[in-house]
Amino acid sequence: MNPRGIGAQTAGDDVAALRTATALVVLAQSTYRTLQTNTAGGGATAVPLVRDLLAAAVVELGDARSALTAATTGAGGRAQTAPDPAYGPVVDAALPTVRTPADVVGLVLTLEDVLAQTLVTDAAGLSTPALRALALRVGSESAARKATLLMVNSLLSAGRADLVVAPPDLASLPGGIGTVGFPDTRFPTAKAAPPEEGN
Amino acid sequence: MGFVLSRRRVLLGSAAGLLGVGALAACSDDPPAGTPSASPGSPAPTPTTSARVPYVGDQRGVALCAATSALAASLYSGAVLAAGDGRLGQVPGVVTTFLSGAGAQHTEHAAAWNALLTAAGAPAVTGTPLTVESDRRAALGRAAAPTDLLALAVDVEAMTGGTVAARAAEFTDPGAAALAATLAPVSAMHGATAAFLLGRPTGATPSAAGAPLGLDALTS
Repeated sequence: MNPRGIGAQTAGDDVAALRTATALVVLAQSTYRTLQTNTAGGGATAVPLVRDLLAAAVVELGDARSALTAATTGAGGRAQTAPDPAYGPVVDAALPTVRTPADVVGLVLTLEDVLAQTLVTDAAGLSTPALRALALRVGSESAARKATLLMVNSLLSAGRADLVVAPPDLASLPGGIGTVGFPDTRFPTAKAAPPEEGN
Repeated sequence: MGFVLSRRRVLLGSAAGLLGVGALAACSDDPPAGTPSASPGSPAPTPTTSARVPYVGDQRGVALCAATSALAASLYSGAVLAAGDGRLGQVPGVVTTFLSGAGAQHTEHAAAWNALLTAAGAPAVTGTPLTVESDRRAALGRAAAPTDLLALAVDVEAMTGGTVAARAAEFTDPGAAALAATLAPVSAMHGATAAFLLGRPTGATPSAAGAPLGLDALTS
């Protein structure tokens, strides 16, 4: 087993990575909140289960933001309160085009994927066990939301909004729903935001 | 930019270097099997009778993760068998597809952990040498309905993901840390799938059987 430490990351690197992760969380939470006010996300044409997912995500991301902010200041950095500058404009451009529950799910799915991939990368690179544990906990929460969104997205894309209910009619669900939520044996990291992106 | 390269190296380069080609092949990014096709006879418990292996340092945590992933895979194989023998009634295809797919990924995870051990000159973990093994198999034996299998899966994924995450924070080996970081979220996705199928799309709370395992749970 390689006896070296797990990375050459410094406290300054930690702060940059934590601030970038926080910026993605800020953007994701803001996007979820905005979508709650959209007709297709929280209004007349919303799917009730999707509405519940949005509400739960807002709470979870709020907790994540608090934890990441505490970690940032604990590492000697300034709290990040701004949304991610790379994906913020993407969201701004996409929001006016959201018309359907599928649009809602598709937009937050993109954000959750980038957030989770960023935190998974951080979980292997941050300099202390406590920071790595935090990144992996928050990243796993994001991955779990991604899995659920993938299932919902699959059903909505197939025109089966009637199956997006809790509890589901297991006998009616397509078999493929059983695996569509975990497409990768190892969680990918290619889309991880570079640490300086939101610093 | 240097840091970006460093992050990528940690997750890709060093993992390849430490795990070797075999480990990466054993843990590909291919989607899981969509139908139950893997070795229906494989879930039979494999008692560990060998002498305790003197794993050192990170190796013990890697061995724990290997054994935990193997137990998850074995339980799911057993669940697929139970789903097919009629005692649970008609088990929906989506449930067996989930069990087969998640089990296949856990099998690959166990292989990747073991490849890390063998690359370091340590023996691979054989069977499922864990103190909780008999309890978990007994829980599977008590399943009386398809939803019981899903509830079991919620516990299995919490146990597996929590165990790997706890070790991830402590590993000093870059390859082990990178592997753990990319596998724990996959368990979270399995757990989310089971929760969704159970009718708890915002998350299901595991039972005590979902607690992470400590190093003392490893019996080999």
